[in-house]
Amino acid sequence: MPFQAQLQVWFHWLQNTPFATNIRQADLLFPLIEGTHILALSFSVGLIVMLDLRLLSLAFRGEAVSKVMHQVMPWALPGFAVMFVSGIVLFITQAEKAYSNTFFRFKILFLILAGLNALFYQLKFYPHMKEWDTAPSVPGGARLTAGLSLFLWVAIIALGRTMAYEL
Amino acid sequence: MSLDQVWALSYNSKTIDILRNSKYAIPLIQSVHLLGITMLLGSLVILSLRLLGLGLKEFSMRTLVAQVWRWGLWGLGITVGSGLLVFIPDPSRYAANTAFRLKMVLLVGAVLYQFVLFRKAVRSETAERPSRRNAIIAGLALTLWFMVGWAGRAIGFLG
Repeated sequence: MPFQAQLQVWFHWLQNTPFATNIRQADLLFPLIEGTHILALSFSVGLIVMLDLRLLSLAFRGEAVSKVMHQVMPWALPGFAVMFVSGIVLFITQAEKAYSNTFFRFKILFLILAGLNALFYQLKFYPHMKEWDTAPSVPGGARLTAGLSLFLWVAIIALGRTMAYEL
Repeated sequence: MSLDQVWALSYNSKTIDILRNSKYAIPLIQSVHLLGITMLLGSLVILSLRLLGLGLKEFSMRTLVAQVWRWGLWGLGITVGSGLLVFIPDPSRYAANTAFRLKMVLLVGAVLYQFVLFRKAVRSETAERPSRRNAIIAGLALTLWFMVGWAGRAIGFLG
């Protein structure tokens, strides 16, 4: 069986597990989980954006980049964890529909890109942060990763919202 | 003029037909709504964590307010503006919706709370150790705004 067909069979099974069916059929559980998924954005994206804005010299200009980073990360990461777990649960309840949705596919692609972008920053720029930590302007490459991060998160939010519509 | 007559102004409007007939208008406006929420609540979370003494402790309250209060205002403006654009094309449907009504009551409460109690707490917080009173105000602000969000998400699910 080709890989895509195999995935489809697996997602069909996943969506019809008692766990998925129960959540789908409960009146308020689904919107509650979806609401939590969205509200966790304020912790994750709401905080990570501050680091991006600092790197772009659009906020916290007088503060060291490392300080902004170390102040936002302890809450941004748990925010991401809540989004990730609630996102997985939401996916399980509608796996087949989500898998075939173009907006969802792009959302996942952009999430992977955002992860790689963050990893790139961590490997390439984080080790040398001391050299430009308090400088008003940061290296072009680091600014680029910050701009890309902002763009990707805006797109991920829009794609996530749009996947609910039949377009 | 009854409310139904006010809603009729929308349903009879050719201009608003553009929103009603477009496949992409509402998803796009809803996406903007969500981005506004992220800005508004992101700013609220930052200030609240600081007031609660749970995070961003190395920044003074003054610095945080100077950096994020205006993001919150922009977020509120974008969220309310885009929310109106979702409401106006189909007002009677939303007006009859229990979750929407609850959301509006909570929203009015949250906005008043934000500009009276929360703003006062944010401005009075100068000491190194956060005051218990301001921490409670911040905790309630987060709870109130999150309830607005949950009620909003329930609009499509509750009649």
